[in-house]
Amino acid sequence: MKTLKDLRPGEKAKVLAVEGCEEVKQKLYDLGIIPGEVVEILQDAPFGGPIKIKVHDYCLALRRKEASCILVEESK
Amino acid sequence: MREIVVALVGNPNVGKSALLNAIAGADVKVGNWPGVTVEKKEAFLKYKDYVIKFVDLPGIYSLRNQTTEEKVTIDFLLKEKPDIVLNVVDATNLKRNLYLTIQLLELEIPMVIALNIWDEAVEKGIVIDYKKMENLLCHPVIPTSAKDRYGIDELVKKLVEVYENKRFIQCEHFEPQFEEYLKKVVQLVKDYKPVLLDVYPKRFLAISLLEGSLNETLQKELEEKIEEIRQEIKSLYKKDVKTLIVEERYGVVLSIYHQTVKKQQEDVVDSSITLDRIFLHKYFGIPIFLFLVWLVFEITFKVSSPYVEWLDKVLSVISSWTLSLLDSVKAPEVLKSFVAEGVLGGVGFVLVFVPVLFTLYVIIAILEGSGYIARAAFLMDRFFGVLGLSGKSFIPLLLGFGCNVPAVYATKTIESEKEKILTTLMIPFMSCGARLTVFAFFVSIFFTDNKGLVIFSLYLIGIMVAVLVALILNRFYFKTKSQFFIMELPPYRLPTFRYVINTAWSRVKAFVVEAGTFIFAMSVLIWFLTNIPYGAKKDETILANVSKQVAVVFEPLGFGTWQATASLFSGFVAKEVVLSAMGNFYVGEKIEEEKKNLTFMEGLSEIGSGFVEANINLVKNFVAIFGFTKQEQQEFDKNLASAIREAFTPISAYSFLVFLLLYTPCLATVFAIKQELNSYRWMFASIAINFTSAWIVSFIVYNLLKNFL
Repeated sequence: MKTLKDLRPGEKAKVLAVEGCEEVKQKLYDLGIIPGEVVEILQDAPFGGPIKIKVHDYCLALRRKEASCILVEESK
Repeated sequence: MREIVVALVGNPNVGKSALLNAIAGADVKVGNWPGVTVEKKEAFLKYKDYVIKFVDLPGIYSLRNQTTEEKVTIDFLLKEKPDIVLNVVDATNLKRNLYLTIQLLELEIPMVIALNIWDEAVEKGIVIDYKKMENLLCHPVIPTSAKDRYGIDELVKKLVEVYENKRFIQCEHFEPQFEEYLKKVVQLVKDYKPVLLDVYPKRFLAISLLEGSLNETLQKELEEKIEEIRQEIKSLYKKDVKTLIVEERYGVVLSIYHQTVKKQQEDVVDSSITLDRIFLHKYFGIPIFLFLVWLVFEITFKVSSPYVEWLDKVLSVISSWTLSLLDSVKAPEVLKSFVAEGVLGGVGFVLVFVPVLFTLYVIIAILEGSGYIARAAFLMDRFFGVLGLSGKSFIPLLLGFGCNVPAVYATKTIESEKEKILTTLMIPFMSCGARLTVFAFFVSIFFTDNKGLVIFSLYLIGIMVAVLVALILNRFYFKTKSQFFIMELPPYRLPTFRYVINTAWSRVKAFVVEAGTFIFAMSVLIWFLTNIPYGAKKDETILANVSKQVAVVFEPLGFGTWQATASLFSGFVAKEVVLSAMGNFYVGEKIEEEKKNLTFMEGLSEIGSGFVEANINLVKNFVAIFGFTKQEQQEFDKNLASAIREAFTPISAYSFLVFLLLYTPCLATVFAIKQELNSYRWMFASIAINFTSAWIVSFIVYNLLKNFL
């Protein structure tokens, strides 16, 4: 199963589910990362730092650890 | 006159404060919410027969009652029951913003929605049919823009109109079947615990009961019945209730969005994304950040320093006037000393921070308002995550090397309570400019061969102790709190001049009133300790007597004399006074400033020419930031130097410096911590942590050096 962490800057994907990371699940939901939504990886910080994604009409930063809880399906 | 209470609620970075500023002008009161570190802003506006009180609630993404900001908001909305909620919404980012709007509607408080940042939406070619949105949301929607004061008058008019009509229409916008379930829950509450309906709005109650997020104990039967409904929902929709509720809300949001918003052009190149390609560049991002931080540091201290000097001059003129006045009424010496040193000295301690804080607040308002501060957190997260901090802590910590007081106030930009507390506790270990003067003096006496190395080692010890304290607190105190980093990167925006100045001004005002009163009172107290009995010998004042008792504590550190102890007492007030206090204790001479007798006109012209000079120096300092200037060599008191050479060995001197580095930097910092963390508990904790670590590290350093050198 692919997660958001596996994507590279410039790639887009559709969110399938948020699994694991129970404590951040609700937070991600509130911020609009819900199943069916398309997210795009925009940039990543050096030395394995956080990534910057676009969801709805805004930009969000999260750590790779959180990104690995977001299951995705690559969208063309 | 009747009062209308309006609560401003909205996501972070939607220009809530700027809108409040546009509505109410400069008259914004800044404080803290009780018991937490979150800033509270209030403003009043007279309109027709009403006084409208605006309360700016912290920025939140949802009403989940989890973060401090959410708790403060929910508490205020449910307990204080404002007359109207003014939901401020970013018109360029409607989907996420309307999610909160839908939740706010569940609270059944009359609401007005401000479609803020309207100008930018228009610019971006986003067309919003807000009249239709009004119908779909069942509440008035008004386009506004704080920048060009668009829609402000209409907004105020609407608020009053809504207040006078006192109506609330609840839209039932979820799926019909789900709405039925909500009604069932309400019926259950009516049967089992009707008292809840007096406290909570119906819809909010039903949803939070289903989510299991309500902070109330329920009877077993009620709990079981609700669980039954949850199971029923789960088998019907094939997902758990929490997910379903989020999806239902987003369903409503998307449906409203698609019916009312049209983008004229798809995907215009977003300037924020372009700017981020530079500022968040994988390799250049961090160097750019470090450069900007250096600039912040330089500007904060160099822009303010001419005005600090000028204020100094103003105070000395005032003190000379006061002294002549006292002379003319033949006031006793003790009163003159009290007024000049105790009272005016206290005022001086407070006033010297005003220019530096004002400059800092201006810069912070720009950094925050522009959206760059979030980028700092993004870039530095990798390095600060280990300490349980985010990159936002970097700027306050760095400012600490200039002066700890503005550094503590710079933690305003940190939302997370835990990170804010940690950062604040670390700041006093950052060696400030005032400490450097003492270091330089001692080093010039004892370590002439490797001055730089010794001073560098002190800075390093400060940083290492700060890191150690952070690691220990994380491991043993904040252990329960989990860590994650999910943060919006708001679009880059140019904050308005008006907003920047007004914000800085309200914050400085809050400092002068609150911390200022404390610092002033303490400085008067210190005057009594050091001068009473008046005219006594240097070793017979109250302070000297107390120091003689306490000195034994410093025996194991190598400097257990009353003079050293009394100097440390003075250093607790401010490190700037340590050297002059030492002159007093060791040599018995007061390092007097030359006292001039000025007539009223001479004083005025001194103040005036000083101000002109300050402005010239400001320009010079600006040039100096980008050029090379030589540091001025300081002149040290010869008598004091020889006295110190007698009193200390190089090793005990180093131990003394380590102690001076690590213990509480100054009273102003102490009260800054109290004000910023809104807690006496953390203030005392900080003092305790500083003294303990100072003692332990000095002890280790002294004994290691004594035995191995």
